[in-house]
Amino acid sequence: MSIEAIPVSVLTGFLGSGKTTMLRHLLRQPEFSRTAVIINEFGEVGLDHELIEASEDSFIELQTGCLCCKIRTDLAQTLGELLQRRDEGRCAPFDRIVIETSGLADPAPILQTLMTDTNIANRLVLGSVVTTVDAVNGAGTLEREGVSQKQVAVADRIVLTKLDLAGPAKPVLLRRLEELNAGAPVLVADHGRIDSPLVFSSSLYDPQTKSTDVNAWLAQETHGHSHTRHDADIKAYAIVRQEPIQAMALTLFLEALAEHCGHDMLRLKGIVNILENPDRPAVIHGVQHVFHAPAWLDRWPSDNRSSRIVFITRRVPQRWVEVLLEAINEEVAEVAADW
Amino acid sequence: MQSLAAWRVAGSVARASDGALVIDGASKDIRIDRAPPRLMFRWMVTIDSRKRGALSLVAVLRQVREALDPRYAAVRVRIAVAPLVPS
Repeated sequence: MSIEAIPVSVLTGFLGSGKTTMLRHLLRQPEFSRTAVIINEFGEVGLDHELIEASEDSFIELQTGCLCCKIRTDLAQTLGELLQRRDEGRCAPFDRIVIETSGLADPAPILQTLMTDTNIANRLVLGSVVTTVDAVNGAGTLEREGVSQKQVAVADRIVLTKLDLAGPAKPVLLRRLEELNAGAPVLVADHGRIDSPLVFSSSLYDPQTKSTDVNAWLAQETHGHSHTRHDADIKAYAIVRQEPIQAMALTLFLEALAEHCGHDMLRLKGIVNILENPDRPAVIHGVQHVFHAPAWLDRWPSDNRSSRIVFITRRVPQRWVEVLLEAINEEVAEVAADW
Repeated sequence: MQSLAAWRVAGSVARASDGALVIDGASKDIRIDRAPPRLMFRWMVTIDSRKRGALSLVAVLRQVREALDPRYAAVRVRIAVAPLVPS
């Protein structure tokens, strides 16, 4: 019997940015009725879970500390236990898991846990990363708090909250969000209410249709060029190549990126035209130095057969990344020609 | 030069008359030559007169970075066990 992979989405955002309010609204929607929730609270007395009206059986609170810094194994164990309870019929059946991180959590280690823990790897698939940003204080928080920049930078979706207090979103905030992550569509939540299908719909893989949507995942329409500011540490840019890339060159390129700037490669995702397999594009995804093995699609999702790789980096110059890929590809081609 | 900028390491890069790349930084003299034919290496990296072979550009970059950047600790790729898309 084949077991369906369950998508795990990560809901993150700085302290007070409205994560719990939005989650509470989402869980009331029929399409979220089969959702298990894991809430990570930072501090001795957790409050957020009191605000969530989820089935008690499919709700777990992690109170041992901040997910990103010390309890990665706790997260993996919790997910494992949740799956076991589901298998044994000891909780309401669910077909989606949402992890609400603490407001201070760096989401990268959480994503890495989902990618690398062997006990849960064959049962779960990485869903969307959704980041809430408070329209009142968001600009200031992004200016001051490095972790809040990372939360925005790795997002597949950004949700603006508290617009009722702030009035229309301030251009300075929208500009900052675009600098940090131009590829992520910005949605708006009104008192936590949001068009629920949009929130977690940016996964690469849709378990219901068992299909992939690379274009939505890459949000490529907004990634044709880089969105950077000279003094910004975190930058999003895309590299587009018309010529196919050799498989070995791609491997060496990713190795070199990890080796030289692994900690600063916050997220990388792309679709690549591999020379040796031109009809089946490779989809790649990495969080810092951890990479998924490429997923090979059966066919190109559109007529566009260019390789497109989106980078979210901290102080990694786009030009270096471009030159590195070019040089490695040339060297591999040269070696192949010598043989 | 792009690599020095990416590593935030001070230094200069010049092309010698024989085609070698000469890097000056961190009080080190570094020279990168194509390896002679019939060697298993593609590149020869000379750092303060000590010559070592390098199989690829990636290996060259590693040697140069180690010489120029004392804080450098290579991060190895880790492959996720979870599939990106379920099979």
